[in-house]
Amino acid sequence: MGILVQLVLNGLIAGAIYALIALGFNLVYATARFFNLAHGALAAVGGYSVFYFGQKLGLPLWVAVLLGILIAGLVGWALNKFIYEVLRGRQASNTVLLVASLGAFPVIQAIIAIIFSSQFQTLTRGFETRVYEIFGGVITQNQLIIMGLTVAISILLFLFLRFTVMGRMVRAISDDVEAARVVGIPVNRVIGFVFFIASAIAGLGGIMVGFETGIEPTMGMSLLLKGVIATIIGGIGNPFGGVLGGVLLGLIENLGIWKISAEWKDAIAFAVLIIFLLFRPKGILRKR
Amino acid sequence: MAQSKSIILYAGLAVLAILGGYFYLSGDGRESSRVVKIGAILPLSGDIAFLGESLRDGLLLAQSEAVNTRYTYRLIFEDDQFDAKRAVSAAEKLITVDRVDVIVTMTSREANAVNPIAEARKVVQFSTASDPKAADGYFNFVHWTPASEEARVLVTELEKRGVGKIAVFSFNQQGTLVMREEVKKRLSSTNIILVADEIFNPGEKDFRSMIGKASALKPDIYLLLSFTPELEILAKQIKDAGIKAVLTSIESFELTDKPELFEGYWYVNAADPTSGFRKKYERKYSKAPNLGAANGYDIFNMIITAAERAHRVVAPRDIANQLYVIKDFPGALGSLTMNSEGVVISQPTVKIIKGGRPEALKE
Repeated sequence: MGILVQLVLNGLIAGAIYALIALGFNLVYATARFFNLAHGALAAVGGYSVFYFGQKLGLPLWVAVLLGILIAGLVGWALNKFIYEVLRGRQASNTVLLVASLGAFPVIQAIIAIIFSSQFQTLTRGFETRVYEIFGGVITQNQLIIMGLTVAISILLFLFLRFTVMGRMVRAISDDVEAARVVGIPVNRVIGFVFFIASAIAGLGGIMVGFETGIEPTMGMSLLLKGVIATIIGGIGNPFGGVLGGVLLGLIENLGIWKISAEWKDAIAFAVLIIFLLFRPKGILRKR
Repeated sequence: MAQSKSIILYAGLAVLAILGGYFYLSGDGRESSRVVKIGAILPLSGDIAFLGESLRDGLLLAQSEAVNTRYTYRLIFEDDQFDAKRAVSAAEKLITVDRVDVIVTMTSREANAVNPIAEARKVVQFSTASDPKAADGYFNFVHWTPASEEARVLVTELEKRGVGKIAVFSFNQQGTLVMREEVKKRLSSTNIILVADEIFNPGEKDFRSMIGKASALKPDIYLLLSFTPELEILAKQIKDAGIKAVLTSIESFELTDKPELFEGYWYVNAADPTSGFRKKYERKYSKAPNLGAANGYDIFNMIITAAERAHRVVAPRDIANQLYVIKDFPGALGSLTMNSEGVVISQPTVKIIKGGRPEALKE
């Protein structure tokens, strides 16, 4: 029983990280209508910002984390402002935007590697990790924080989209961008805001991964891939579908290797992707 | 008078023709037989650059001591960034453009990738791979304590300590998988039960489920066959899971940049450098030699020995021929002998991490 509980806990922890990435990724897709492949690199931006401010400059941890989230958000906003918005203004297709994001990804990675080197780094909290036992399974304080943050951000995002003016504008653009423009919604400004929020969430994801396992310039690629799979499983264009997809993916991966070797984990994830693309390409939850 | 001049002229031409024919026929068409070129393809940037630099420093130390030799020995370095594809490109460049006689490589992945090229182009490859397959073929050699020897010493130590159950976590890479196979082979003839045998891919960061599966079977010891950064992440997650069982490894603890994670744990390591080599190295570089430095030093010196012993103008085959007859060679890793498969035999050691530093384990 203990091993099953542990595998479920591990699945939820992994799923929470995937969900954070998928949340922002889906939010951007819902409004800007393209797969922003540079989204993964923003996780690295968040992680390295905390490394720089917290460990290199010695600022208090909470300050470094806030700065990390802010910087990731600003980088995402800047990407949209100076690349994607310009391309949209020139009536570029979504394929062009996707390719542009594909180009931005290695540029961000390379800049991080040049500034910080490609050496693997660990983020330290400065205090001992506490470990808790739950029904025979073990979970650390950091892992609980990851799960708690994912739940909190999902709820906040839901409330934001449902009950705020800006949230309603985001939903309007997501439904029909032309109609939104006609009724006077400042589409570019709202999309810019969405990029900021989505990138900040990705940055937070990168920071939590950094505390959990460490950071390296190329960390964004594997996070992005899992985020994309989670998005497709949960429902493209539905941010909460991404959360569901992330959790499901985490559980499938970890339960999937219960009786087989761990080297099959990635293969299982991509097999699930292919199955969903074949049989349920719109994912579990429809676009809202 | 005119006739004398003609005789001298013809005689001189004849001598030149004979000498020219001799040098041409005794060479193999390579550029200058006076310079033996050694191309070293090493990871000089990236996560394991410290190992590549260590091997490089060993080679350079040996080169600085190479005086009064028949030939000049030149080193050319290429950075493969621990990528087999780059190693192959570098090998092609070294052979085609630089026309090297010998290529030195570091890990099993790169050595195995370069092996068929070295064999086809008849250029010696000397590597520090732990996979003995890197020595397949006439022109390929390995100078690293064989995995079979390391596994033998590990299993002996496990039996001595009364270990009943072991879990093995292996990085999916040729060198570590060879070690894993050798360990499993040795374990099969003991009473030690292999309760978990997991392989994980490069880049994996989430080992929790793998650890959970193994810990449910309560092994007495965990054998970690991995390198930075996966090794440290794995060790940390084992600790986070509240597992108190002992950790051990083959070589990995020697290379970690977080020795505090392995404080008090014993492990098996490749052969240790002699104190003479250590002193020489510290004098030149003001630091202790890292893993691989002594191997690089020995490799260079074995190449010199082989080239100097060759009877005729040196070609790679001549170096290879002489390498096979190396016996009781006084190396930085002790007395070295080349076996018929092109593997230099050296003895592993058992060490322990004490005060954050590796130390030889006392009985």
